[in-house]
Parts: sequence; C-alpha cells; structure tokens
Amino acid sequence: MKRLIMGNEAVAMGALEAGMTFFAAYPITPASEIMHFLAKEEGRIVFMHAEDEIASMHMAIGGSLAGSRSMTSTSGPGMSLKQEGIGLAHMMGVPMVVINVMRVGPSTGMPTLPSQGDILQARYGSHGDYNPIVFYPASVSECYVYIQQAFNAAEESRTPVILLLDGFLAHLAETVDLRSIRVPRKKRTLPPLGKGTRHFTGLLSKDGIPQTKDTEYYRKWYAGYKKRVERVADKYAYDSYLPHPDSETLLIAYGITSRVIRPLRKEYSIYRPIRIFPVLEERIRDITSRYKRIIVVEMNDGQYRGELQKILRRDILGVSILGGTINLREVKAKINELL
Amino acid sequence: MNSYKDYVKWDRMPTTWCGGCSIGMVFKQLTFTLEQIQMPKERLVVVSGIGCSGRAAGYFDVDSVHTTHGRALPVAEGIKRANPELNVVVFSGDGDLTGIGGNHLIHTSRRDTDLTVICINNEIYGMTGGQMAPTTKRGAVTLTSAAGNAYYPLNLQGLLTSVPRHFYARSSAYRINHLQKCIKEGLGWKGFAFIDVISFCIENNGRRLGYKNGFEMLDKLKADFKINTDPSGPLAANELGIIQNENQKS
Ligand SMILES: Cc1ncc(C[n+]2csc(CCOP(=O)(O)OP(=O)(O)O)c2C)c(N)n1
Ligand SMILES: [Mg+2]
Repeated sequence: MKRLIMGNEAVAMGALEAGMTFFAAYPITPASEIMHFLAKEEGRIVFMHAEDEIASMHMAIGGSLAGSRSMTSTSGPGMSLKQEGIGLAHMMGVPMVVINVMRVGPSTGMPTLPSQGDILQARYGSHGDYNPIVFYPASVSECYVYIQQAFNAAEESRTPVILLLDGFLAHLAETVDLRSIRVPRKKRTLPPLGKGTRHFTGLLSKDGIPQTKDTEYYRKWYAGYKKRVERVADKYAYDSYLPHPDSETLLIAYGITSRVIRPLRKEYSIYRPIRIFPVLEERIRDITSRYKRIIVVEMNDGQYRGELQKILRRDILGVSILGGTINLREVKAKINELL
Repeated sequence: MNSYKDYVKWDRMPTTWCGGCSIGMVFKQLTFTLEQIQMPKERLVVVSGIGCSGRAAGYFDVDSVHTTHGRALPVAEGIKRANPELNVVVFSGDGDLTGIGGNHLIHTSRRDTDLTVICINNEIYGMTGGQMAPTTKRGAVTLTSAAGNAYYPLNLQGLLTSVPRHFYARSSAYRINHLQKCIKEGLGWKGFAFIDVISFCIENNGRRLGYKNGFEMLDKLKADFKINTDPSGPLAANELGIIQNENQKS
C-alpha cells in the first residue's frame, strides 16, 4: 500500500525492518523525527533518550556488544560528539549504525536548513586512521533501503556504518510503498557478552591482550582491518550513472543535490555515488576517464571534489551551493560560468 | 564452586599497577566478594573507563569492556538495558567517573540503572602523572594545582543521594571487610549502586605530598576513617558506611 512518508520516518521504519532492537539518541533538528517515531516502539525495542550524544553513542556500543542491533541518530554538532565513540567502535569491532542528518554549520549555524557540510567529518571526523563505510541515499524509498544495507554492512564489517542524510531529504515526503521493498538481512556476527572471557578494548590488542608498544603488530592489524572493511564495502558498491551520448561534461552529485540536478540529464551525463566512502575508486576512475570536464555539485565548499581530485589526480571543477537553499536555476548558472 | 581465583585472568598477571598501589587491593576484595556470592561467571560483565583503575576490566576472567575515558557508564547502561540478565559491574577511577564522565554519573544514577559501580577514589588523575581530580582536597598540591587546589572537592554523597531511590556506600582500601560488605550489598541492590572506595596513589600523588610508601598512605586511611554501621543521616567526612533509600511509599 502506498503512503506518504518522510525520509526520517523511512529510516526509522527501515531500521526496525533490519531488526534493530536498541536505539539511543539525543534530540536535534533535523534528525529528531527518527527519535519520535522510535519512541513509540519503546518496550518492543530498547529506546534511550540519553543525556547527550556522547552517551547515546556509547550506549549503542554497549547495546551492540550485549547482542542488539544498535543505532543512534543525530545532526552535525551531535555528530562531532559521537566521533570519540566512533573511533572506539572501529577499534573494538562493534557493528552498529550512526545516522547524521546534515544541517548548515559550523556550530549551530542554520539548524533548520539542509547542507552536505559533514562529508569529510563522516570520513575523517574521529581520531587516528580508520576506514568507515558511508551511505547517502537520495529518496524516501532509498532511505528505507540503505538504512537496512547499513545494518548489513555493519554486521559484515563489524564497524559503525554511517548513513548520511540532509535536512531536505529527512523532511521530504514521498508517496511510497515500503512494504513492497525487501532487503535480505545479514546474520549477527558478534557473539553477545556473557559466557565468554573476551576483553573488548580501545587499546590496540591481540586476542584481548593490549599491544601498545608493538609497531609491527599495529601495521599488521591496520592492514587487516582495512582489508576487512574494503572487502565488505565491495559488496555494497552502490551508485547510479546516467550517461548522455553527446555530453563531454560529467556532473557528479550525491544525496539531495543529485535529485535537484536530475533534469540536467537532458544535457549532461550524471554520476551519483551512494556508497560515498570508501570512495568507489575504480568505478569513478573508469567513468570520469570518458569525459573532458568533471563538475562536482555539492552543498558544501568542495569537500567531495577534494577527495576525488586526490584520487583522480586531475583538475575537477566544482559548484558549491552554500547556505541551505538549492535551486536548479542557480546550479545551471554556476555550471555555465565554468564552461 | 568458583574460587576467587576463577575470576582472575592469570595470564594477564602481573598487572600494570605500581608497587604499593591501592587499586589491586580493591580488585582483590571484589574477587573475594564474587566468590562469596558465587557470582556465575557467564552472567558477569565488567566495564571500565580509562585510567589506572580502568585497566581492571581486562584482569577479570569474564567478558569485559575497556571503554573510552569517562564513558564506562553509558556503555555499561547499554549492555544492561540490552540484556537485563547480565550483572554489570563498573570498575573505574574518580577522574573517569566524576570528572570527564560526570554528566553520565548524574544521569545514569537518576535513571537508577541497575549497575554496581566501584569507584577508585584516589583523589588524583593517577595514570597521567598526578593532575588534580574533582575529588582532590582543597589546598592539595598536584601537577595542575601547583599552588594548592583552589576548589572544593565534589560532594559525591550529596550528588548520589539527591536521587530519591539511591545506594551510596563509602568504604576504603584499608577496611577490607567493610569494603566486601559494601560490594556485596551493592551487587545485591536492584538499581544504581555506587561504592566510593577511598584509595590512594603513592607514585603519582603520595610522594609529592610527602608519603614515603603505600603503607604510610594505607595507615593514613586507617587513622582518618571510622566505620558507621548504622548512619541515621549523611555520613560525616571521616565516616565509612552505606546510605540507601528504597523510596517505597508505605
Ligand atoms: C578523552 C581523553 N582525555 C584525556 C585522556 C587522558 N587520560 C587518561 S587516564 C586520565 C585520568 C585518569 O584518572 P582516574 O580516572 O582518576 O584514574 P586513575 O589513573 O587515577 O586510576 C586521563 C586524563 C584520555 N585517555 N582520553
Ligand atoms: Mg584517580
């Protein structure tokens, strides 16, 4: 049955469909509706309105260790607070999902307006070297699908997987039939606490024993961790490509921006990564090699463009839409300025 | 039958703690108490934060979690709420639980989450060399209070008993029978039980204060604190005891 559903609600419904039984968060616009929706499930799931985002992140870690599929949701300022715990979850190997609904920053910025300003925060926001899997859907039904795939990727990689949304998509209502969408569910991979003698620690460790002075071991561990994440990420290499036979220009956009520029497919080729991290390197290398010009359109000051430039080692043009408002006319004008 | 030895991860011995440290004394009393109540190992999870005290989790031969600095309580709460069958013990330092983790202490106790918290209150940030903690006495010289601590220490008893239903126990690393009793009652308490264990740190605090060894510091605990077995109100500053309130309406 078709129903009018908004992005945040689809995320919450998808999480339940994925078997999530533990949710902890702290209210923040524009992510709060996820909380409001899940509050009604309290009793069927563990629902915690925590004292802050640091607590909600760490509660979700505890919930996952104890055997629950766990999730937390927030927006930019709260995401910054979760970063300490994200590092811990990578180090300890904890499967869980973190949602960041992006708004205009820095700081309290423009809380009710959408942005894509936390792209690099999602990739690099914690400390030390790590390799997160990040998805970014572009429609309400995709919110429902990719939250479930985020849980699957989290189980397989045993890492905290990030789902990015923007305030636009989170509040976008579309008529969708979510019941007709089926996403196969991966099994739990982490045996729950109790019965064992395991030691989970944020210290570098080998079989639960800290190895804090062993450089060789760190290098081996890191290579193994990175490979593990990459192998899993390979299975979730989602993107979409709309080639235009006569275009010498490729537009790259993700999330809500890709939605807004879709009418431009009559003139240009458009590529949209959905798994935005790890960057779909080979695929992007292959597609971009066919074009004279590449323009990344994004609601930030060139964050993804910088990542692609690093990988492709060629000049990439950018259209930055700042300040929380986006319309096609402005994007078009900015593209024309570049050509 | 479990012996206290069964709760210890012997292949991790010796511990990281300095000679004359009080943390191992408390660790040992906890293992004795676990033996006394025959805590099933498969139902026990120990959670720690970061600090010398935080290393304790790794020395228990059960599933254990060594979290980030200050976050032992939210991780423990997540575990307990996800699986209420587990007995979750938090073993951590005063800086960890009351300083950086202070907000979590306020709210985990307010939610009366069923955890047993053992706080090694050595009045110092031991691991990082001896900076003042929220529990450091006024006037005490530490690395970050070179002219003497200008502030009053946190009133932990006041904080924890401000919640209508509460369990606050103060014991010391010296009064081991009393400590065992506090831990035992804390483990039996349904709700948030906080055991404030007055301890000491010889290497990164005591020597600066003029103590020669851990034994002298232990002796000072003996002299300074007396047990009040039946407190009628709040514990005086020099008293050890248990303050509990079921808050059951009659
Ligand atoms: C976020 C963060 N800040 C600071 C530190 C450094 N640090 C490690 S242990 C510690 C203090 C520990 O003191 P306490 O909890 O009293 O434990 P003790 O060593 O005294 O047993 C600090 C500040 C850290 N590990 N993480
Ligand atoms: Mg301390």
